Amino acid sequence: MSSLKRITKELNDLGRDPPTSCSAGPVGDDIYHWQASIMGPPDSPYAGGVFFLSIHFPTDYPFKPPKISFTTKIYHPNINANGNICLDILKDQWSPALTISKVLLSICSLLTDANPDDPLVPEIAHLYKTDRPKYEATAKEWTKKYAV
Amino acid sequence: MANDEDYQYSSSDDDFPEQQYYEPLEHRDITNNILDDYEYLNYDTDSLESFNSDVDIVDGMAVSHVTNPNKKRSIEGAMVNLKYECFTTQDIFNNMLEKVDRLQPMFSIPREDIILLLQKYGWDEDRLLEDWTNKMDGLLIEAGIHINNEQKELPKSQRGISNRDFFTCPICCEDQIKETYSLECGHEYCISCYRHYIEDRLNKGNIITCMSCSLALKNTDIDELMNGPSSEKLMHSSIKSFVQKHNENYRWCPFTDCKCIVHIQDTTEFVEYIRLHYSPYVLCNESHRFCFSCSFEMHSPADCEITSSWIKKAKKESDNLNWVLSHTKECPKCSVNIEKNGGCNHMICSSCKYEFCWICNSDWKPHGSSFYQCTMYNNDELKTQTVIEDVSKTLKRYTFFYRMFNEHEVSAKLDWQLGQTVGNKIKSLQEKMGVSWIEGQFLTESLKILNEGRTALKWSFAVVFYSDSSHNLTKIFVDNQALLANSVEDLSALLQIKSPETIMEKKVEFYNKAGYVENRTYALMECGRELISKGIVKITN
Repeated sequence: MSSLKRITKELNDLGRDPPTSCSAGPVGDDIYHWQASIMGPPDSPYAGGVFFLSIHFPTDYPFKPPKISFTTKIYHPNINANGNICLDILKDQWSPALTISKVLLSICSLLTDANPDDPLVPEIAHLYKTDRPKYEATAKEWTKKYAV
Repeated sequence: MANDEDYQYSSSDDDFPEQQYYEPLEHRDITNNILDDYEYLNYDTDSLESFNSDVDIVDGMAVSHVTNPNKKRSIEGAMVNLKYECFTTQDIFNNMLEKVDRLQPMFSIPREDIILLLQKYGWDEDRLLEDWTNKMDGLLIEAGIHINNEQKELPKSQRGISNRDFFTCPICCEDQIKETYSLECGHEYCISCYRHYIEDRLNKGNIITCMSCSLALKNTDIDELMNGPSSEKLMHSSIKSFVQKHNENYRWCPFTDCKCIVHIQDTTEFVEYIRLHYSPYVLCNESHRFCFSCSFEMHSPADCEITSSWIKKAKKESDNLNWVLSHTKECPKCSVNIEKNGGCNHMICSSCKYEFCWICNSDWKPHGSSFYQCTMYNNDELKTQTVIEDVSKTLKRYTFFYRMFNEHEVSAKLDWQLGQTVGNKIKSLQEKMGVSWIEGQFLTESLKILNEGRTALKWSFAVVFYSDSSHNLTKIFVDNQALLANSVEDLSALLQIKSPETIMEKKVEFYNKAGYVENRTYALMECGRELISKGIVKITN
């Protein structure tokens, strides 16, 4: 059970040296199911919000990527209504050398810099590219409504 | 000339028993004008004048046969003369290795590194050369051949396996690891994690890099790590994605488990073939014939469009219905459930010995004579009712044609199983009758003709389904279909014979029947093409 050992180690590392603006840990007794939270980055329309995510580890972790999705509603071109995240390192660019802590930091930077050229929600991506102020206003509004 | 060509649309051959039509193929001089053959068919051609408007094309075809005397006319006749090659992934990879050898003196880097570069460029030599001249050093870093010194975090290490005491692998977090692996970048992991990581990526075909940076594992590294020729698997999947990417020129053979890839350099002529309603059939090295344009098995007399709508329609039908239709039937006399396990449609009930036709479920006796047509769907039944467009009738009509299609598909599969026994039959001919291997090949040849006839017959039902049934040419097509159906059944029955003595006795009959099936197949295909090019076939779903 190398996955158990690895997940336990990641949990210990997170406790010893927690990354700024993120936290994560098991939901209950099941070490394969975690909950994480991300603080909205200050230089983004998500500032001031706290976003929750659920993390499921596959049994062959770290050779397969963890399944991560937002449980808090968020207005973002790469995150859809079900909370699914379009991020390359969670799919084909996953590497066993990546950790939950690194992935959460990547998600934080995705919140600051969206990737509208590879969108999961085309409508939001379109607005992001054509009317940035309106996109930011909507994102702020959603943050206030769902994440504060 | 015109009269000679009309043979193929004729529906009446009642006047002559078919054995007289052909002398054995081996006695025929195929370099002669092929139309000579048709003098055996002394058909009444007067009633067929109306279908003679497309003489140009028919003439063109006759010419193409004369210029290509080594090929038999039947199937190739319905086909265009395509230039193509057949490869396996190994062949393509060998070609790529030749490319590597050509590039090596120019690049002056190891061959393994050129393979990585080509892999990165999807084996596109030209694009690689262009970028190589522009940004040589950048390219070597991008492809993971050289370390990017700007991003260096760890002290440089030796590429390869190391023996360690008490190493903790950052991937599996096991301590006391003895064997580790790392590239020059210094990212070190245990052997078993590296193996697991590589194993997952071998069938993706992309360059495999270090787990923490973009430095690439060369084929030699992969083989060293995996303790075997695993890089071969990676190269094959890389070639597979190359084929997938260039699918306008490369096609996989659609037959199950066939590993052939057909390559056509120049596909510009396809537009013209399609305008004339020819399909670009190719033959892979495993003797599977398929359409390069739609990647289906040979589907003449149907064209690609009919084929795809027919397949789509069939998919809508429930799988259960299909199974019941294709596998079992009740004996029309004693109602015992029968599963067909032989290729011929002449059934003898194992319980009551009643002889019947698997296709139309009626007595076999009338099937012996050629005028009997059990493939014909009786449209009179429909005419007696007022509304033809009635949905239930359309469905009934479809079910009828689909059943026919299915019957022949199942029969074709059984024929294929029959084919597995042909090798043994030839062997027993050699042993018991002293027949040479070459001489025994008439069995293989007959089986091939039977398969092609069966396939054409199968697809012809899709054509009839979409055809305007009131048109005269459709009727002729259906007649042609019936003739082929009868001859295919005859040939199939001949191929069921087990005793070597009987087989040799009937050798001439094999030649006659096979030659006849071949001609009927060709005639049906041409008639279908005519039907399609005249716009009598309308696709309505």
